[in-house]
Amino acid sequence: MKILLLILLACIAILIGYIFSKKYKTRSNFFLSLVMLCQKFDVEINFSRERLKNMFDSLEEKHKRNLYGIDKNFLSYLDKETSLDKESLFKNINFLKNDEKDVIFMFFKSLGRSDVDSQSKEIKNYQTRFESFSSTANNDNKKYGALSIKLGIIAGLFLIVLFI
Amino acid sequence: MLEKILPNDLFHILESKVNINSINEIRLRADKPIVLSIGGQRIFLGQNGVTGNLNDALKVNKITIEDIIFRASECSIYSVNEQIKRGFIVTKGGIRLGLGGDLIEENNVIKTMTNFSSINIRIPHEIKNCSLPVFNFLLEEGHVYNSLIISPPGAGKTTFLRDFIVQLSDRNFAFNVLVLDERGELDIKKNGCLGNFVDKISFAKKSIGFENGIRALSPNLIVTDEIGKEEDIEAILYAIHCGVNIMASIHCDNIDNLLHKPYFNKLIDEKIFTRFVLLSMRNGPGTIEGVYNENFSRLRN
Repeated sequence: MKILLLILLACIAILIGYIFSKKYKTRSNFFLSLVMLCQKFDVEINFSRERLKNMFDSLEEKHKRNLYGIDKNFLSYLDKETSLDKESLFKNINFLKNDEKDVIFMFFKSLGRSDVDSQSKEIKNYQTRFESFSSTANNDNKKYGALSIKLGIIAGLFLIVLFI
Repeated sequence: MLEKILPNDLFHILESKVNINSINEIRLRADKPIVLSIGGQRIFLGQNGVTGNLNDALKVNKITIEDIIFRASECSIYSVNEQIKRGFIVTKGGIRLGLGGDLIEENNVIKTMTNFSSINIRIPHEIKNCSLPVFNFLLEEGHVYNSLIISPPGAGKTTFLRDFIVQLSDRNFAFNVLVLDERGELDIKKNGCLGNFVDKISFAKKSIGFENGIRALSPNLIVTDEIGKEEDIEAILYAIHCGVNIMASIHCDNIDNLLHKPYFNKLIDEKIFTRFVLLSMRNGPGTIEGVYNENFSRLRN
């Protein structure tokens, strides 16, 4: 019974480590997909003047998943179901820092509001900032993501040793 | 379509307190009262429906105006910038938003319009059979007369043209009709309401549309809205010389003024148009004042 409890404790410690590491991975994937979204929008706006809704609809499933519903929240605004504010845009998203939210919010607020040249410039500008966020998030993921799992495993082993 | 572009509260008032199908125009100006045009009459919109009292009139601000334009562009201003440069946006349902604001010019080329301050929302109506009273005056065995529909703005030119095309199709006149819809107002339904013998070129300048259309689609009749520029006249002459009949409309309030329109002498002198239909708003939009022949003799009162 005691052994089972210890194994359970170790698993919990590893799980906590995994959850921490997942947060870093989620952030990294999120910003990567945001950069991809900028690239796609820039190309499609310049070449086919594609409507915003169609562009969101035609996003790859992988990127839709990585955006954690921010695309759907924005589409709700376009469909007049919600207003465009941070609360509704970042609904169910808790892995972003406030300054990151500010930039992303401004990005979505600017979408569809200007002519092709201005829109393209704005998207490129935001893409640069998202690339910077993405690079930081990626480094954090490499550094702290792996570290979190390792710490989880070490903590689990430590608990086992402690209670034996 | 109106519900997609107007703010929910404003649409709700229009839907519940006003007969929305009777509205011809909605004029929105920043920080000014909302004005509706119903059957040629202009009246304010209040919280409880139409009102003659200025103090009860609802007002809109600039943010609302910009939001309406944003939504009319299907949330993609960049996709309709070519229209915005010409001062309007046409939605899928044929609703035309005339825009007021600041035009941005660079090297004598209009880049876009910003700082929007007013919108004139024109709601198209399909008035079935409105062209029938003069239908037979415009047709001769085997072809449609070259006809010009004359009326002041908002008096039903486009509605008349639209109905005439439908009537041709309904009566199985198998003319190949090319609709040159420069502003996207003639064909107001998504799947085309204009009939079985109709081809359409939208949002093209008349000079380009006439040339491409005649070459590619071999029409018997070209129908186009709102001619007036010198290049439009050239395009019409080109079509006539190609053996294609024309039905067009023009802004003008009477025959005398038509004769004094710039660039029109050539068309009048050469008797290019052989039928003129004069519309007015005397008994509401679409009132037929008369049909005239090429010598301006009245054929019908």
